Amino acid sequence: MSGRLLVPILAAASLLAIFAACLLGSTPLPADRVLAAFFGGADVGDRLVVWQIRLPRAIAAFVTGAALGISGAALQGLLRNPLAEPGVLGVSASASLFATFSLYYGLATLSSWVLPIAAIAGALAATALIALAAIRTRSVVTLILIGVGLSSFSGAAMSLLMNLAPNPFSLSDMINWMLGSVANRSFQEVGLAAPFLILGGGILLFSRRGLSALTLGEEAASGIGLNLRNQRILTVLGAGLATGGSVALAGAIGFVGIVAPHIIRPFVRHDPARSLLPSALLAGLILVLADIGVRLLPTSNELKLGVVAALIGAPAFVWIAIQRRALNG
Amino acid sequence: MAELLTRDLTVIAGKATLVRAANLSLRTGELVALLGPNGAGKTSLLRSALGLEKRATGSALLNGADSERLSPMQRARQVAYLPQQRPLAWPNTVRDVIALGRFAYGAAPGRLSAADAEAVDRAIGVCDLSTLTERQADTLSGGELARVHCARAFAAEAPLLVADEPVAALDPRHQFRIMDMMRTFVNDGGGALVVLHDIALAARYADRMVWMKDAEIVADGSPEDTLTTERMAEIYGVRARIDGRSVEIEGAI
Repeated sequence: MSGRLLVPILAAASLLAIFAACLLGSTPLPADRVLAAFFGGADVGDRLVVWQIRLPRAIAAFVTGAALGISGAALQGLLRNPLAEPGVLGVSASASLFATFSLYYGLATLSSWVLPIAAIAGALAATALIALAAIRTRSVVTLILIGVGLSSFSGAAMSLLMNLAPNPFSLSDMINWMLGSVANRSFQEVGLAAPFLILGGGILLFSRRGLSALTLGEEAASGIGLNLRNQRILTVLGAGLATGGSVALAGAIGFVGIVAPHIIRPFVRHDPARSLLPSALLAGLILVLADIGVRLLPTSNELKLGVVAALIGAPAFVWIAIQRRALNG
Repeated sequence: MAELLTRDLTVIAGKATLVRAANLSLRTGELVALLGPNGAGKTSLLRSALGLEKRATGSALLNGADSERLSPMQRARQVAYLPQQRPLAWPNTVRDVIALGRFAYGAAPGRLSAADAEAVDRAIGVCDLSTLTERQADTLSGGELARVHCARAFAAEAPLLVADEPVAALDPRHQFRIMDMMRTFVNDGGGALVVLHDIALAARYADRMVWMKDAEIVADGSPEDTLTTERMAEIYGVRARIDGRSVEIEGAI
């Protein structure tokens, strides 16, 4: 498949998947009723189901995936490693820790902006720490270990908060954050995360050319004209904003950011810059499909999207890591 | 004419002085070999001369402008730099790697202007890579990869080239091929500064040899003037027989 068709095909597939997400559910709606509801026709009940429940949920899943996909692709370009990803590097976990903090202390009730901003602060703190460590060490294994450390610490701190949770309601709130889900999201919540997702994604797309230069390693990249410091700042900022925004919307969902760029890379001739947009679309598509799956599975308690993503993504992570070992010795 | 000039350039890292008061020059039309044992400060000298590493004192001018104050793009258009470590993060095709040499002109792999594409094609021709352009770089041999990196540097079409050990770990034939490319680059009006460990190769190709030891430049001149038995003993601690530009190393002292 040629690289030129990749983005249109993925975009069309994503639209189709979002449309399908509006059709399927506990009460399946036929396509004509969904279409009518889209354009303001149909009866009130259909409009309610489509506009208030299914469409916002599908869009939340899509933008969450897209943010994680583009952040993963950009971080992989910056760190020159296919295993880099917001979840693996502890960025998502830090973001959900900060978000949980704001929930726990009731800060989130002050303003609806508190939660997304807390999540973004957590994501930025973790991304900046990783980028600082990346300057000091050339070893990506070290970076991933730092990420594991960050994740563990955030996990421990969240457990502490849960341990001290004043009542079962805040406990269940926190668990939802940890597991990651887009259930019951409204357009209002999507709107709160949107500015950060758009800004982060925009920064990453704007600065993507430098990621190609980094293919040659940092030394040669600055030799061919890359401003390394600016590139680091922009990628960290962009990935932090996008990941933080996605965590604010859906909690911590891991591994999408690793799987999507991995699938995309051969189609874009392994150029990190060109992998950003298709990775975002594919990761969004994956989460929309996974969320449809979560809704359709006849389980007594609805599965959490983050759990399903990890069940699929973690083995993929292991597989990519093993392959890499075979390649580079 | 382009030139890179350092005056009393000193580089300090922590307590160690890596380069002490170095006066180095590189002009178009000459091939300069930078020689010295491991740890003599060659790479630090190059990097600080290019403004990639902070200097403690002294100056480094690239065509009259302070190299530290140049933007990376401005610098890249005046001097191509081939570092010692040349890791490739992804299995890109040969053509895409070479296309990165045009980064300073706003190009990216898959987004080359007509002028960029011509420069890339010329570099591919010079480095004899036309049969390998669609190969993934991780499937190449060491010699082929070295040529790809040279082509990447040539594609920038900068008047000056600084190459840090471009022939390290190559077989003799590839060493000669790479040096032939450097020579062609200089004959076509460029200026090349090349770090080498093979004295015989350096003596054969260089117009000028710059000798470094313990962070200082100890000699700078034509091979005829600076390549002597005493210098080989002083710099490398080896016994050498020298006849004009040919060197035979007989053993350690």
